[in-house]
Amino acid sequence: MKTAVRFDDVTFFYPERAEPALVGCTLDLPEGAFVLAAGETGAGKSTLLRAINGLVPHFSGGDFSGRVTVEGRDTVDHPPRRLADVVSFVPQGPAASFVLDRVEDELAYAMENLGVPPAAMRRRVEETLDLLAIEPLRERSVRSLSGGEQQRVAIAAALTANPRVLVLDEPTSQLDPQGAEDVLAALQRLVHDLGLTVVIAEHRLERVAGFVDVVVGCRRGIPPIVGGAAEVLRELGLGPPVARLGVLVGWDPPPLTVRAARRDAVHLQLGESPRRVRPPRGDDLVTTHDLGASFGPLNALREVNLALASGEVVALMGRNGAGKTTLLRCLAGLHEPRPGMVSAHGAAPRAGLDVALCPQDPDMVLFRDTVADEVRATRAARRRGHQEVLHRFGIEDLQAIHPRDLSAGQRLLVAAAAIVATGAPVVLFDEPTRGLDASSKRRLIEFMRSHAANGGAVMFATHDVELAAEVAGRVVMLAAGEVIADGSPADVLGDSPVFAPQMARVFGAGWLTPEEVAAAVVPA
Amino acid sequence: MNSELSATSHAYRDSARMVHPVAWLVWAGCAGLAAVTTTNPFYLLPLFASAWIVHSTHRTSGPAARSFRIFLLFAVWAITIRTGLVLLGPINQGSVANALLEGLRLGALLTVFGTFNSVADPFRVLKLAPRRWHESALAAALALSIAPRTIASVERVREAQRMRGIDIGRWSGLPSLAVPVLATGMDEAMTLAESMDARGHGRGTRTRYRPDRWSPAATAVTAIAGLAAAAFVAAAIGGWGGLEPSTFPLVWPEASPALVASALAFAAPALVAPGRRR
Repeated sequence: MKTAVRFDDVTFFYPERAEPALVGCTLDLPEGAFVLAAGETGAGKSTLLRAINGLVPHFSGGDFSGRVTVEGRDTVDHPPRRLADVVSFVPQGPAASFVLDRVEDELAYAMENLGVPPAAMRRRVEETLDLLAIEPLRERSVRSLSGGEQQRVAIAAALTANPRVLVLDEPTSQLDPQGAEDVLAALQRLVHDLGLTVVIAEHRLERVAGFVDVVVGCRRGIPPIVGGAAEVLRELGLGPPVARLGVLVGWDPPPLTVRAARRDAVHLQLGESPRRVRPPRGDDLVTTHDLGASFGPLNALREVNLALASGEVVALMGRNGAGKTTLLRCLAGLHEPRPGMVSAHGAAPRAGLDVALCPQDPDMVLFRDTVADEVRATRAARRRGHQEVLHRFGIEDLQAIHPRDLSAGQRLLVAAAAIVATGAPVVLFDEPTRGLDASSKRRLIEFMRSHAANGGAVMFATHDVELAAEVAGRVVMLAAGEVIADGSPADVLGDSPVFAPQMARVFGAGWLTPEEVAAAVVPA
Repeated sequence: MNSELSATSHAYRDSARMVHPVAWLVWAGCAGLAAVTTTNPFYLLPLFASAWIVHSTHRTSGPAARSFRIFLLFAVWAITIRTGLVLLGPINQGSVANALLEGLRLGALLTVFGTFNSVADPFRVLKLAPRRWHESALAAALALSIAPRTIASVERVREAQRMRGIDIGRWSGLPSLAVPVLATGMDEAMTLAESMDARGHGRGTRTRYRPDRWSPAATAVTAIAGLAAAAFVAAAIGGWGGLEPSTFPLVWPEASPALVASALAFAAPALVAPGRRR
C-alpha cells in the first residue's frame, strides 16, 4: 500500500523547553487508513498531528529535526498553505478556527484560496453539505450553531479542499454520543469510499476503538509505537471498558468493541448483578421548583423540579442543546429563573457561597503565575489555606508551576480547585471531561466521591456515559429543556440504545463498570 | 434549542432576487446625502420613516441586524445632547429650535447608517473588495467577528471570578479579568491564523464562490435612491424648497411636495425588492 504520511526520525522541542515533545518518531501511515493517535496528555499527540501539515514547526517555532513527508512533500520546505491541497486540519474546539460568518462561505473558503473554478466549488459545497447532513444549516451564521453543529461544519470546511489526508484533534470531544457516532461514521465512510487517510486524536477510546485500523501510541520522552489497536493500547495500558474487563478476567487479546466482548462473554458465568446500595438521602442543599428559563423567544428549560441532596453525585445528560448548561447556571444563581424558582435553604442560591460552578473552559478562570497562587486568589482560600484543596485534587506537586504550562487536563483540575476553594457545599461541573486524559479523569472522580462523602453534593453535565456509569449515583436526563428521566444509572442509562455504557450493552442493564462485572464472575 | 432558529432561517439566498450589497451602499449614500442637505423636519421625518420601513422589511437575521436599534438610540442621544447643550447658554426660542433641527439631521444620518448595517450583511459587503484589498477586507471581517466573542468572554470570566469572591470592580482585581480574556483572545487569534494558513490563505491564486449578482431590484433601488438624492441636491443648488428653514426669526417651515415625496421614495426597497420571509 502507498504511504500517505511518513515520519523519519523526527525529534522536536517547543521553544524554551528542555523536554522534547516528539522523540525519534518514525512511522508510515498507509493511504486509506483510519489512524488513531492515543496516549496521555503531554505525550505528544497534538504535536504529532500538527507536524503532519507543517503547523509544527512553521507556526510553533522550536527545534525540529528529521523529516515529515506528506504525499511526497517535505513539510520543512512546504509551509501549511503549500500543503493545503493535500492535508486538511481540524483543530480542537473548532469555533475559533472559523474565518467567515455564513456556513456556506466557510465551506468555500479553502477552495477560494486554492483557486478552484466556481462551478466545481459550487458542486463540492453541495456534496459536502449532504455528506455531513448539514444542508439545513447552510444559511446560518457559524456563531449561532451548537457545539456539535460547529464540529460538523468544521469537518465539512476541511473536506471541500479535497485533501488526501484529514487530520482531526479530538473531533468528538464536544459531541453527545449520537453526534459522535454520526461524525465517526461519516469519517469511516470517507476512508472506505474515497480512500482518504484520516488521523485523529481521541481520549474516549470506547467511541473510536471499533473504527480504527492503525494506532500510534504516544509516550512521553520515548518514540511512539505503531500497530494494530489491540497490541498498542495494551502496551499503553489504555483501552475502552470492554478491554479493561478483558484484562481483569484474562481474555487474550482483550476485546475492543462491544461486539467482540459479547463473543468472549458467552462462556462467562456471572453471579447476582450488583444492587448499588443507596445511602439514606441527605438534606436537600439546593432545590428547583417549576424552573423555567429562556433566551429571548427560545425556551431553554421547562418545569424542572429537582433537588440535590447532601452526599449525592449526579450526572446531567442529554444531547447538545438540551439545556444542561442553562440548568447548571440557574442552580448556581447565574441565570435568572423565569418562571419558577431555585432555592438553597429557602433563599435564592448565592454563587460562590451555596453553589459553585466550574466553567467548561478552565482558561476562563486562570490568571496567576503559579498553581498555589491561583487557588489562594479565591477569597475563601485565604482563611482555610490552599494545601487542603490541592490535596483533594491530587495536584500538590504542581503548585509551583505556571498554570499555562500544564496540560489541558491538569489546567481543568487547577481551575476546579480554585472554584472548589470557595467552600460551597454544592459543586457543579460543566462538561469536565472535554480533553481530559485518563489520569486527570481519575483524580476528578476521586474528588467527586470525597466531596459527596464529606456531605457536599456534586452535579456534572457530561456526554461521557462511562464516567456517569462509574461515578454517578443518579442520572438526570434532559431533552428539549425538560427532565425526561431521573434515577439510578442502571435505570436511566442501562437500556438506552444511545446512552448505555459498554458493560450494559454486553451484560444487560444492571451492569455498569468492568470492576463490577469482574467481581461477580463465578469461577468455572 | 436551535431547531426553532433553523426553521425560520431556512430560506435560501436567491441571489437573482436579492438586493446586491452595492445597491444598499448606493441607497445609504444617497439617503445620507439627502439628510445632509436639509434641516427641514418635513423632509427629515419622512426620511426617518423610510429608513425604519426599509429596516423592518429587509433586515438580515445576523447579529448586525441589531445595529439599527443601537444607531437609533445614538440618534435620540445626539438630538438630546445637541438640544441640551444649547440650554446651558443664553436661551431663546430660535437657538433651541436650531439645535433641535441640527440634532434631527445628525439623527437621520445615524439612522440611515444603522439601517444600512442591518440590511446589508457586513461580511458580504467586505467580500466585494477588489482582489488587491483582499487582505485588508479579511482583516476587517475578522475584527467584526472578534468583537462579539471578546464581549462574551468578558462576561464569562467576570462571572467565574465573582464566584471566587474576587472583586473585579477594584483596580487590584483587574488582572483576574484581563489576563484570562487576553490570554483566551491570543489563543483564539493564533488558532485563527493557523486555520487560515492551513486552509491555503496567501497562496496567491483566488477564485470567488457565489459572488452576489446584480438584479433588476438592485437597479430599481439604485435608480430611485439616485433620483431622490438628485432632487435634494438640485434644491440645495437652486435654493428652493426651504431646505434650511429660518430659526431667526423662527417661522413655520415651508415644504415642497416634491421633496417630501423624494424623502418617502427612500422607502422604495420595501416595494420593489422582496423582503424578509416570515
